[in-house]
Amino acid sequence: MITDPLLKVENVSKRFELRKGTSITAVEDISFDVAKGTICVLLGPSGSGKSTILRMVAGLETQTTGDIYLNRTSIDGPGRNRGMVFQAYTSFDWLSVRRNVEFGMKINGVAQRERSERATHFIELVGLSKFIDAYPSQLSGGMRQRVAIARTLANAPDILLMDEPFGALDAETRWQMQELMIDIAEASGTTMIIVTHDIEEAIFLADKIVFLSSHPGRIKEEIIPDFKSAGRLKNKEDLLALPGYGELERKIMRLMREEGHKS
Amino acid sequence: MGGKRWFEVRSPVSPRRAILSSVGIWVAFFAVWIIASSAGWVNPLLVPTPAKVFQATYTLFAEQGFSTDVLISIGRVLASFALACMVAVPLGVAMGAFPAIDAIFAPFVSAWRYLPAPSFIPILLMWFGTGEAPKLALLFLGVIFFLITLIADHTKEVRKELIETALTLGANRTVTVFGVILPAVLPNIVIAMRQMLAMSWTYLVIAEIVASTTGIGAMMMRARRFLHTDEILAGIIVIGVLGLVFDVLFGVLHRRLFPYLERQR
Ligand SMILES: Nc1ncnc2c1ncn2[C@@H]1O[C@H](COP(=O)(O)OP(=O)(O)O)[C@@H](O)[C@H]1O
Ligand SMILES: [Mg+2]
Repeated sequence: MITDPLLKVENVSKRFELRKGTSITAVEDISFDVAKGTICVLLGPSGSGKSTILRMVAGLETQTTGDIYLNRTSIDGPGRNRGMVFQAYTSFDWLSVRRNVEFGMKINGVAQRERSERATHFIELVGLSKFIDAYPSQLSGGMRQRVAIARTLANAPDILLMDEPFGALDAETRWQMQELMIDIAEASGTTMIIVTHDIEEAIFLADKIVFLSSHPGRIKEEIIPDFKSAGRLKNKEDLLALPGYGELERKIMRLMREEGHKS
Repeated sequence: MGGKRWFEVRSPVSPRRAILSSVGIWVAFFAVWIIASSAGWVNPLLVPTPAKVFQATYTLFAEQGFSTDVLISIGRVLASFALACMVAVPLGVAMGAFPAIDAIFAPFVSAWRYLPAPSFIPILLMWFGTGEAPKLALLFLGVIFFLITLIADHTKEVRKELIETALTLGANRTVTVFGVILPAVLPNIVIAMRQMLAMSWTYLVIAEIVASTTGIGAMMMRARRFLHTDEILAGIIVIGVLGLVFDVLFGVLHRRLFPYLERQR
């Protein structure tokens, strides 16, 4: 059966106008799609335009040329159907964890009762039930990112966009969060685009990796980590033990290295 | 003693020594004052003893109705400051949130900041006569432009990611401004108010010394005519204490309004 992809990015380029009439082409001729229920990882060296692509999908930047479709509808500006989690902490410090998670639902007119139930559910999903009435300043960095994830999911977006969401976390918290994302994907079937420059993270999370080269950002290769034939793995150590993992990691490292030599 | 010296670069001071030090400097200050004034080193008419000043303070309040002057002064500060906030908070937040509004008002507001408010006193007196209006106007002019700029700057510092998070959650313009930008900047607005209220007291004294028959400053100018240095110093102390009290009140208000800021891990 052939179904339309949930998200379709078609020949998208983005040029930033700088001062004094100069401009910089951040990404050029980007085309890829994301099927419903899958995790797509944008991987590439710093400056390859990963954030720019994600921000265009979110509607926070407008592409210079090309089109982006969500459910066959051309996107126009930010909207609740595309939820975004940033690398920087974005908790609303003046609201408790519960109110943070309810924020999107509240402004979109979800009734109090349902709001409260959904908030409780997603706070539980990210493992913060004990902190439901805490304020963000009482939480660690990893816990704050969990709040951001719960807040976005509770708003029921069609696609979850994450820009290096675990970049600021320590190593242990990072892999816990990666495993959490797999749990969430399995439990809720959420479609995701995750931006990272961490190869291991990319291979662990991705159903598909879109590898970008830099200056200007172009798609160099689409990689399906098909050695994970039995489906997504719940534990990171299982991934490392799987035959085929090392080979893919080496391949991506070679791609990264070529990018490094280019500049 | 292990070679530990009294002065050590960036080495913290124990709480006990901190208290001793802070009390010590005041004891030294009063000691010099008492000795200088009672040993006749200075003209007692120009520098009265601390005891005389406190005596004068008591007499002012108990027998000369000074509390009316104090209340008038407080009233002037609060009325003009409330007025200034009513203009500065909405305008500053709007300027910080909307570059289009900033583009209109920023050049205007920042130019006015360079004009010293007291230089307006003569014209304010001509416009408003001798009632309350010129004093309130001076206090208002003295703080309004700084308050607007401070609030606008704090609003501009609200992190872009917070605003973008709101947008991707489906926030419209109203929600973004009132649901995210305003609550995010509010603690800093209260801090800006606290700073500017202190400045307001400065302008109060100027207004009352130059152009008033009531209030703390006017009392001090009257006292000068009769060479009552003790009353002048009493006035200075009362103004200082009032400034301190309002500053502490603002501090308490800040902690009350924003408890979430304090509960750091
Ligand atoms: N707002 C902007 N203005 C100007 N140039 C930008 C802007 N955002 C990104 N760029 C440029 O676009 C290129 C890609 O940036 P980015 O998308 O942040 O890459 P990545 O996320 O992969 O590190 C970089 O060269 C960057 O300097
Ligand atoms: Mg980036």
